[in-house]
Amino acid sequence: MIFRVLRLFLGAVFLYASYDKVLNPEAFAKAVYNYQILPDVAVNLAAIMLPWLELLLGVCLVVGVWLPGATLISTGLMTVFIGALAFNLMRGLDIHCGCFSTEATEGPADLWTVLRDAGFLAVSVWLTLEVFFFRRRPSDRSKAGTAAVR
Amino acid sequence: MIQDGKVLFKQALRQIFALVGLALLLSVGVNLWRSDGIPLVGDWSADARFSDDAGESLVVSLEEVRGLFERGDVLFVDARPESQYDEGHIQGALNLPFQEADGYFMDAADRLSAAGAIVTYCDGETCDLSHDLALFLKDMGMENVRVLVNGWTVWQEAGLPTEGGN
Repeated sequence: MIFRVLRLFLGAVFLYASYDKVLNPEAFAKAVYNYQILPDVAVNLAAIMLPWLELLLGVCLVVGVWLPGATLISTGLMTVFIGALAFNLMRGLDIHCGCFSTEATEGPADLWTVLRDAGFLAVSVWLTLEVFFFRRRPSDRSKAGTAAVR
Repeated sequence: MIQDGKVLFKQALRQIFALVGLALLLSVGVNLWRSDGIPLVGDWSADARFSDDAGESLVVSLEEVRGLFERGDVLFVDARPESQYDEGHIQGALNLPFQEADGYFMDAADRLSAAGAIVTYCDGETCDLSHDLALFLKDMGMENVRVLVNGWTVWQEAGLPTEGGN
């Protein structure tokens, strides 16, 4: 039950996060550039691809398919996001998060942004552990004949 | 049990490759197809980032602007909020915070029109305020508007005259 609720929650977070970025590639590319972490040549490709990866992750988590892959990517992504935010906070770069909106109205990223993302990471890690260690093995699934929805 | 773990891990790897591959294909495909798609490799040089609507660079070099300043041929416009302007700014600079540009513009219009060259600046390599303000001033009919990228920092580092603050 908790597993299901958290899976739906994290899926919804990814879907919501992808929405504005998919719609505004140019603004999101600017947000990625402003992080000043990726080399210039990689900025656009990352900005083009990331929202769609988030969208696919959101769909997997909400529907409950490909959970081993989806939870691992989600945990990896959240780790990278937190690292990038924390790195820029520490070096004092005033950046916009670009997490849920490409509009600057979201305000500059701060410690709360990192804590919020840390919360998402905790959920993601928990789901990953559940999928890999406490849930039914893939071999069980074929026997049960049901989808991975739990 | 160990066998199961291996199977699960292999399954996860396959799914990761599939998801990343699918995201790549979908995103690049949609980007090509949509009208507001962006180039796969962008030009993030200062000249490209700080350009006008026609794509011409607005960037002015420190050397050039320093010459203009010494001849008294330039009006600096500080695009940052008033609080930051008060803490220190380029000597003789006018404050026109971009966020409230409409309100400040009327008061500054005469000085702006009389200026030979207008150079906007803010602080930070990626700060957009100076660029946004330059475009706004051009829209308002000002000519010869340029941007000094990362202006407040490079001006101070060059030891050029400032005022305000301590």
